[in-house]
Amino acid sequence: MSDKITIAVSKGRIFDEALPLLAKIDVIPKDDPQNSRKLILETNKNNVQILVIRATDVPTYVERGAAELGIAGKDVLLEYQGDGFYEPIDLGIAKCKMMLAGLKGVKKEITRPRIATKYTNITQNYFSNFGKQVEIIKLYGSMELAPILGLADQIVDLVDTGKTLEANGLVPYERIADISSRLIVNKASMKLKSTAIKSFIEKLSDVIEVAE
Amino acid sequence: MNTNNRWLLPEGVDEILPPKAILLEQICRKIIDLYTTWGYEFVIPPMVEYLESLLTATGEDLDLQTYKITDQISGRLMGVRADITPQVARIDAHLMKQDTPTRLCYLGSVLHSRSDSFGDSRSPLQLGAELFGHAGVSSDIEIVKLMLATLNSLEIDNICIDIGHIGIFRSLISESKLTPEKEMEVFEIVKRKAKDELKKFYKKLKINDNSSKALLDLVDLHGDVSILEDATKSIAKFFPEVKKHINEIKAVSESIADEPNLSINVDLAELRGYNYHTGMIYTAYVPDEGKGVAFGGRYDDIGRAFGRARPATGFSADVKQLLELHNCEKVKITRIFAPSDSDPALKKKIKDLREQGKIVVQELEGQKHTAVEMNCSLSLIHENNDWIIKDNKK
Repeated sequence: MSDKITIAVSKGRIFDEALPLLAKIDVIPKDDPQNSRKLILETNKNNVQILVIRATDVPTYVERGAAELGIAGKDVLLEYQGDGFYEPIDLGIAKCKMMLAGLKGVKKEITRPRIATKYTNITQNYFSNFGKQVEIIKLYGSMELAPILGLADQIVDLVDTGKTLEANGLVPYERIADISSRLIVNKASMKLKSTAIKSFIEKLSDVIEVAE
Repeated sequence: MNTNNRWLLPEGVDEILPPKAILLEQICRKIIDLYTTWGYEFVIPPMVEYLESLLTATGEDLDLQTYKITDQISGRLMGVRADITPQVARIDAHLMKQDTPTRLCYLGSVLHSRSDSFGDSRSPLQLGAELFGHAGVSSDIEIVKLMLATLNSLEIDNICIDIGHIGIFRSLISESKLTPEKEMEVFEIVKRKAKDELKKFYKKLKINDNSSKALLDLVDLHGDVSILEDATKSIAKFFPEVKKHINEIKAVSESIADEPNLSINVDLAELRGYNYHTGMIYTAYVPDEGKGVAFGGRYDDIGRAFGRARPATGFSADVKQLLELHNCEKVKITRIFAPSDSDPALKKKIKDLREQGKIVVQELEGQKHTAVEMNCSLSLIHENNDWIIKDNKK
């Protein structure tokens, strides 16, 4: 049985912050990822390759076993409907917050607010947990615009420094969740390639504990 | 609806065409024959029945998966079965009424209102075997062996059997002093093996008792059988009940240790079917298949609602999934083309061939298609006053 390990990593900030972590356990891409246009990156380890893909695709790749491991933000995992993977490590990278926010100086309590968000499942769950009915408006970006133009009353979005909110006259209301990136593992792979994957998890877990 | 789309099947609903369909049928026969030789009696439960009996003691998951329809005669709700196991349990508990161990097997289509986010099919062809009336480990062993025999009979190799035990998590969580809501949270975390999250959870609640330590250990207790030793040292010390569960897993894994091309994985934090299973659970995996191929486990309480609680264990699989793993290309189907001819000798020849189990396709009057066009590699030819079979290529 081959113990090949494919790691699907979210493009962008998560990928940039994950590379140094992987380097600490001696997994280093052969090509320079900044210059390479390859979608599959071979590494110095014969049996390890890295896929650089859209964040929302990572859970799909891992759940279906196209990749054994994945690195994805908790926001994406919370939004994803499915439990075909394990989530053993909190990598502590790409940290931010999932926030509910609204316009400054506007009444916060609304009977049935319209919420603009990319994260429809998270928003639905969050509000239904304390029995509040909301209307969700799915948008794919620039949430901050929605309350300004009256498209929505409030927004649910990822907030890092909060500067974008402030610049657009919005204030944070509630913190819905703390977000950071997780290592996820396909359930079948965890059993079939137990030795290889367990040792990978242990090594990675050790370097993170040191970092903390 | 656009008329161009009339052929379209609903999402997750599939059909099987030649030549695969006959192969699937052969696989089904082969497996049912196998179960019969092991003493499992075949039952055919109905496609629909009243919802209460379908959903008894099965938890919310199955409820969401079940299509509901109103019975025009009684006004009651009926469900299209999403799983045959509860039906078979009902048959054992209510209709068979025997105290001896009962062995039943079944095969049938089930319908899922939504595909598991994973499996694509909403219409699996479920096949399974259940053993009622024995609480000991030897019935678990029999079921695991039958599960392996099923896969072996289809020449599916390099199987990995994953064994877990729901009782371990149950014992540990029942020792914790958490509210039911918090218990649920721990369950959700352990299910995902999210050790870091579990650490944070306990830290936040300032819990550091034996139960929490054991649950943190539990998350990492998966791998080859050697982890059973680790578990005995770390967890079973404080929880004597767990020791018993570990020994059960040991007994099952030892019983199949000699099987060729088989690897055994133990996962003490596996919680598949937690609402439904009561003891050991076993799942078969094969390389390059991102999900399990056969699922089994003990579910002792299900018969209670039907008036008779009986120990029960069993497993099931989707034959359509097994078909994909079975090497279909190896199977060659040879068809013989017979011309349209009223010669009595030809009639007799065709009859004889068919009795031998050969496939003979006879030409229809006025037909212009050749043997090859009709997918026949052989033809019946009249030569020297006899009908003989010739290869069409020569």
